[in-house]
Amino acid sequence: MSNEIEVKGATKLFDDTRAISNLNFSSVKGINIILGPNGAGKSTLLRCIDGLYKLDNGSVRVRGSDPYVDDKVRKEMSYLSDNYALYDYLDVKSNIIFFGRIYGMKDYEIMEKAKGILAELNATQYINSKIYALSRGTKQKISLCRALINDPQILLLDEPTAFLDANSSDSIRRIMQRFGKEKRTVILVTQKLDEVTRFNCRVSIINKGVIVKDSSTTGLYSTILKDSFVNIRLGKPVGHDIVKKTPGFISSNDKAATMLKIKVDSYKDINKAVEYLIGKNAFIISIDYIEPLIESLSW
Amino acid sequence: MQLDKSYAIAVKDIKEVFSSISIYGPMIGVPIFFSILLPFLTFYVTIYEGPSIAARITQLHFIPSGLTGLGSLSFMTYFSVSIMGPIFLTMPILTATVIAADSFAGEKERKTAEALLSTPIKTSELLYGKILASFIPTMILTMVVFGIYGVITDILSASAFKLAILPTLPWLMMIASSPLLAIAAIGVVVLISSHVKGVKESQQISTLLILPVLVMPFISVLGIAALTFYFFLYLIIFLAVLDTVIIYVGIKSFRKESII
Repeated sequence: MSNEIEVKGATKLFDDTRAISNLNFSSVKGINIILGPNGAGKSTLLRCIDGLYKLDNGSVRVRGSDPYVDDKVRKEMSYLSDNYALYDYLDVKSNIIFFGRIYGMKDYEIMEKAKGILAELNATQYINSKIYALSRGTKQKISLCRALINDPQILLLDEPTAFLDANSSDSIRRIMQRFGKEKRTVILVTQKLDEVTRFNCRVSIINKGVIVKDSSTTGLYSTILKDSFVNIRLGKPVGHDIVKKTPGFISSNDKAATMLKIKVDSYKDINKAVEYLIGKNAFIISIDYIEPLIESLSW
Repeated sequence: MQLDKSYAIAVKDIKEVFSSISIYGPMIGVPIFFSILLPFLTFYVTIYEGPSIAARITQLHFIPSGLTGLGSLSFMTYFSVSIMGPIFLTMPILTATVIAADSFAGEKERKTAEALLSTPIKTSELLYGKILASFIPTMILTMVVFGIYGVITDILSASAFKLAILPTLPWLMMIASSPLLAIAAIGVVVLISSHVKGVKESQQISTLLILPVLVMPFISVLGIAALTFYFFLYLIIFLAVLDTVIIYVGIKSFRKESII
């Protein structure tokens, strides 16, 4: 099958508000990122793909079936949002066993699978803890375990790292990367450019309920880096007369600079600045681009 | 429909309700307290307050037959069945409402429905599981409460009149109507679950069902209708039809996205 997910002319209204409007989207095997600002229709699209919402117009097909009508489609599909959606007064084990049973699994199969996932997420020790007693990051790890218990071939992720620390976020990204390598279909919706640039994959830009651009992570850099700024941190101070001649120089933190800000139009400009500074015997510790707000980018 | 999925939902919901004392404490404690207290009240009224009540009641135009022999066995029987009985009939409604509202509107309020509905569960399996989760604890509690009330009443009547007064046929018919009242309450929760925002709203609307039940003692005392075997037989037939309609409309009108 060429495309696991096909969305054609999809429109979803909430009263008079069009969350998505005549939207078209086809998934590819591996990681698919849908990037867009708040209110662009990302979550609504994902929920329509998962069959949680009925479309007002158009169609969604997952493996050829309408997910709103055909519940069996979700047997090999999972959905994880930034909201952990677990039963607070039950313990981790009861939560996972409950969801496993709904997928038609036996209890011993569920526990065997859960132990493997929890070990990968470094969360095995919480198996008998009540959900309300866990930290936000741990809850999200348990929720990911819940979403992976059925070994899904299609994984739908709605800002899964939104409230997580770096370690927990990395756990989720590692699993996404593994799924991508195994040629499963992963759809990640996010509004964070930083999140997108951690993957090398297809990126679809959504705005005002419509997919406005289909690109890739590398293709996205040319848009992100246009008219943006980069901070270069230096190991030891460099004289102002050298620093001010750096290509794209905007400002520095002192006359004897240890941090300078440059303006770039593409990643090539970063190389030029770095080459110049190295040529002047400067020691570079880090290069950070100042991430633009997604709302400020024009597609 | 796979019943094991419905069973899994019922088990999960029951576990959830009984994992929080703030939900199950009042739900169990209050009915059991009343099932112990009210037989003593009945006994006290029968033995000690009979004459003064009689003086007031004889001024009424319609005097139910049970009230003619105040201080007697027939009065205690009448008071136990026709006055106190309907109070216990509110138990299946209240208990079913608390559990069903927590089960349906609670998923929405705690934002857990999203994960549940992203599994391959059918709407019918979901509803059946949740109805079961509300019905089973309700019926167990109702039977326990009627049982405690019956046993204590019999002990007291036996001590005064050397005769156990319960069960009577109307009393048994009253108990027989309780599952149908519970189903009606659950059906109303299903019906309104698409339109409410949270548990409290759902409970407040559903508990309106207890009003007709609370009218029963008054219609008995005022002589409008006697709570006899036939009264409860007609009530059961009426509730069976009502339940069928409510559950049918509730299931047909239920949209899974309404609890997200």
